[in-house]
Amino acid sequence: MFLVFIVYPILWVISGSLRGNGSLHPTAFVGLDHYRQVFQDPVFWRVLLNMFLWGLITIPVQMVIGGTIAYLIERHTTRSKTFFRVMFFLPVITNVSVISIVWSQMYAPYYGIIQHYVKFVGLQLTTSPLGDPSLVIYALILVNIWQWTGFSMIMYVAGLNNIPSELWDAAKIDGAYGWRLAMGVIVPLLSPVTRSLLLLGVIGTLQTFPIVHLMTDGGPDHASEIFGTYIFKQGFVIGDLGYASALSTLVLLIALVLTIIQIVAFGAQLNPNQKRLA
Amino acid sequence: MKMYKIAVALSGLACLLVPVANGNENREITVWSWFITSTMQKSIKAFQEKNPGLKVTYTYYNYSPEYITALKAAAASNSLPDIIGLQPGSLTQQYREQLVPLSPYASKEWGNDWTSKVFPIALKQLTMGNPTNDSNFYILPQECQVLAIWYNKEIFQKLGLTVPQTYQDLVSVAKKLSDNGYIPMYQGAADGWQNENVFLMIANQLSPGLTDQAQAGKVPWNSPALVSAMQCWMNLFKDHVFQEGALGARAYPTGAQLFAQGRVGMMALGSWWMQESKFPPPLSRYIQNMSGFDFFYLPALTQGGKSSPPVGGVDIGYGLTKNGARNPEAWKFLASLVRGDALQQALNDLNDLPSFSGFEPAGEITPNIKQMYDRFIADLPRAENQRFAIPAIADALDNALAGVASGTVSPEEALKRIQDVTDKALK
Repeated sequence: MFLVFIVYPILWVISGSLRGNGSLHPTAFVGLDHYRQVFQDPVFWRVLLNMFLWGLITIPVQMVIGGTIAYLIERHTTRSKTFFRVMFFLPVITNVSVISIVWSQMYAPYYGIIQHYVKFVGLQLTTSPLGDPSLVIYALILVNIWQWTGFSMIMYVAGLNNIPSELWDAAKIDGAYGWRLAMGVIVPLLSPVTRSLLLLGVIGTLQTFPIVHLMTDGGPDHASEIFGTYIFKQGFVIGDLGYASALSTLVLLIALVLTIIQIVAFGAQLNPNQKRLA
Repeated sequence: MKMYKIAVALSGLACLLVPVANGNENREITVWSWFITSTMQKSIKAFQEKNPGLKVTYTYYNYSPEYITALKAAAASNSLPDIIGLQPGSLTQQYREQLVPLSPYASKEWGNDWTSKVFPIALKQLTMGNPTNDSNFYILPQECQVLAIWYNKEIFQKLGLTVPQTYQDLVSVAKKLSDNGYIPMYQGAADGWQNENVFLMIANQLSPGLTDQAQAGKVPWNSPALVSAMQCWMNLFKDHVFQEGALGARAYPTGAQLFAQGRVGMMALGSWWMQESKFPPPLSRYIQNMSGFDFFYLPALTQGGKSSPPVGGVDIGYGLTKNGARNPEAWKFLASLVRGDALQQALNDLNDLPSFSGFEPAGEITPNIKQMYDRFIADLPRAENQRFAIPAIADALDNALAGVASGTVSPEEALKRIQDVTDKALK
């Protein structure tokens, strides 16, 4: 199973990246030509920058907001905990097409949802961040954060519920409140969850596709291009499978390097059994 | 004894006939496309009524990413259905090796002069991107379209506006619409296809057919007329003919909904817009019988220039896959789709214009719709080409248009980028 569904497709893609441009099947062997073209392609560097921004912003922001919401629900809400958990988790399970239509309408000037409310205070939006090359990637990152913060929240809810009640009591007796409680007790105890979210966040960043495809398709003029949309265009729209395979192989390598770094850095601590033994 | 022999013979004959009858009942034709399901079901029903025993199984996909990924995966695994919906040019070329040439089928069905019935622009587009010396038709066109600027007649009348004849008229009409709280000309500029359509209207009014020559490498993309076209395109944004924030807007569903609701003055669409009047209720009063709408061609955007000629071509065509060629019934449905009962159902739904002359919609077609339909049909024979043979060039044009519209790249620089891609693609 592993050979058929994992190893074979990877080898097929790597082999395709070394062959010529065919729309359905790779053709003659061209060596590293596609990789040379990729590194000379300004869009590739734009994609790398966008992916870096995506990961750098979404992962920590989702963690901080998700963790804060989880803490407020679990420690400061006595009733309707389930209601709040469900409400904040709803965007995670909402269809991405719906999310993209709603947010596109929210961003729209003149006829948009935000415009509908700001007009009551005399404001008129005159542009959409989705059409501004300098803002578009941040506008999409905001949508992504909105959608996925609920996932961080639910992970932290589980983490908070795993903290023994004796520890909370001990912290109170020791006078740990507010910032000191957060940094001295909660954050360290939730660090396994944080590391898992970091790992999943990096993977999720590299897998991002539908929200960008539906809202901007990587535009305007590649300003919001990410690996998913660029590989899709090269492989399926333009029909250059060799170039798309080279891009895919590079994504695979990036994912591999980042995963190895995380496993080397956090591997032992990601394993709860090992931690207990220590 | 004689009676006994006859009875045995009849029984034997009956036994032979039963499996044949069952076989006919199970003959299935598989079709994939992005064509609207409700209309396709009417086409299938009409075909099946005329061809009892045949069953057409239609699979609808959203065009992107579902349809193009499904096609790619099925083509790579040799599991394409019998018939696939395609557009001429780049999309057809990607699957040419999986399709069979259709000229022999068409000649056998309709006679050797069948091409004389196809509108010239459709015929020209069918072979776009074919290798040199390959004049085969790998798809046959079902429907054609003509691009135009649709406008809301009621809003125009209410504000005392008339159809713009010059660029200055267009700018002042847009201003009056904006001043009165309407979106002037809705442009879903996040959609490459809508930008391409408007740019082709502009380029063809400055020099008909020039974009075709440029994509074929016969003239450079930075030739003066195309630089001028790109500047005109930029001006539509700078002079607020298009709504603010157009680059972040989509034509469908948002633009179409706003236009149908009467919140938009003008929108660049095509003859397919008439189909809205056939959608299930509730329909806005503008959409009912299309009584709130009419269309014009883009007025001259340069001093002393001419208005845009009709631009258009094949909206959708169908190819017979090599799998489909092994199914003797598949051609029957394809023929019906492009020039038969199935086509007639699509036309009755006002889905678009026919590709073969001699057809027109039947059923409940009001005089208002009929006159618009007739105007489109009259313009179709002189339509300029809207399709690209090489997808990389179309993609480069899409990005160039977005770059110019956003002000991040100059018209000259944007056209140079398209030229670089064209040079590489034609190498």
